[in-house]
Amino acid sequence: MISSNPGSLPVPLTHSWSSFCEGIKTALPIVLGFIPVAFMLGAEAAQKDFNSLLIMFLTMVNFAGGSEFAAIELWSSPPAVLFILFVTLMVNSRHLIMGATLAPYIKNLPKRIKFTTLFFMADEVWALSMQDIQRRSVQASTLAPFRFDFYMGIGITLYITWSTFAGIGAHYGNQLGDLHQYGLHMAFPAMFIAILFSMWQTKSDALPWAISALSAAVAFYVLPGGWYVIIGTLSGMLTVYIRS
Amino acid sequence: MIVSSTTILLIIGMGLVTYATRVGGYLLLRNYSLNKKQAQMMQIAPGCVFISIIVPEFLTGTTGDILALCVTIIAALKLGMLGTIIIAMCSAFTFNWLLLNLF
Repeated sequence: MISSNPGSLPVPLTHSWSSFCEGIKTALPIVLGFIPVAFMLGAEAAQKDFNSLLIMFLTMVNFAGGSEFAAIELWSSPPAVLFILFVTLMVNSRHLIMGATLAPYIKNLPKRIKFTTLFFMADEVWALSMQDIQRRSVQASTLAPFRFDFYMGIGITLYITWSTFAGIGAHYGNQLGDLHQYGLHMAFPAMFIAILFSMWQTKSDALPWAISALSAAVAFYVLPGGWYVIIGTLSGMLTVYIRS
Repeated sequence: MIVSSTTILLIIGMGLVTYATRVGGYLLLRNYSLNKKQAQMMQIAPGCVFISIIVPEFLTGTTGDILALCVTIIAALKLGMLGTIIIAMCSAFTFNWLLLNLF
């Protein structure tokens, strides 16, 4: 199973402006979901004495929303450095699986491209790109499944949106009171549910999805941090493994 | 506010930890080629990640939030992302307001 692949050279990359624009277009509906959620992150950060610049710095360095909400929630003065780093690791451990699914499609690309790709691998960027990869693999075997420019169109659009509106939230959020009363927090699960439905392929997805949901629910109560995402995902994958 | 060096270093540390999780899975799998069964497992992964991420929303939300999530699921069957997000926020606002003010 190990292919050492000694002769494989990096695939030459031609940039495509139209793919990049297609990525931006694909990201636009998600931008609408990002705006209220980023705004809430900024508003919560402001309560922990973050100014706009600082929360923008955090979002630009980290670019992983879940861990940013967790860190802000746990932020004290002075912050518990190791604890926050540990929680960040736990919440983001799902990236390990995500990076692994992307690996076969990017491994022959130039280093600079690969490691840029991985930096922008937020949940939504990854999910939309994986859908594009699967679509293109079905369409024709001659197409390169992974499109870096499409991926970056999504990535950069969401990156700028996330950080900008976190900054705006830190500036104005305090004046609006508890933002939960406006229902803004629902943008996050709504976005995920909408993406999830677009991932549905065949009836055979139902069982692994159900197993995922159940085991994630159990793990959420018994395990710390973001482990429920790992457990839920692995259980779904294991279901496919046992069944096939 | 006075930004301490601890704050800046912690933020950079978070960035490094997050980037390590993003690069880690890739580094582990880049030298393997998957067989058919493993490829099928990888194909189901995105949906399972997304399901798992939203599960706590159903477990910890207010009654209004959970009602709104049910409406959101129905909306997602019919509408695209934009419509789903708008319906979700409006229904959470409405349900939470009703439950707070009527009962």
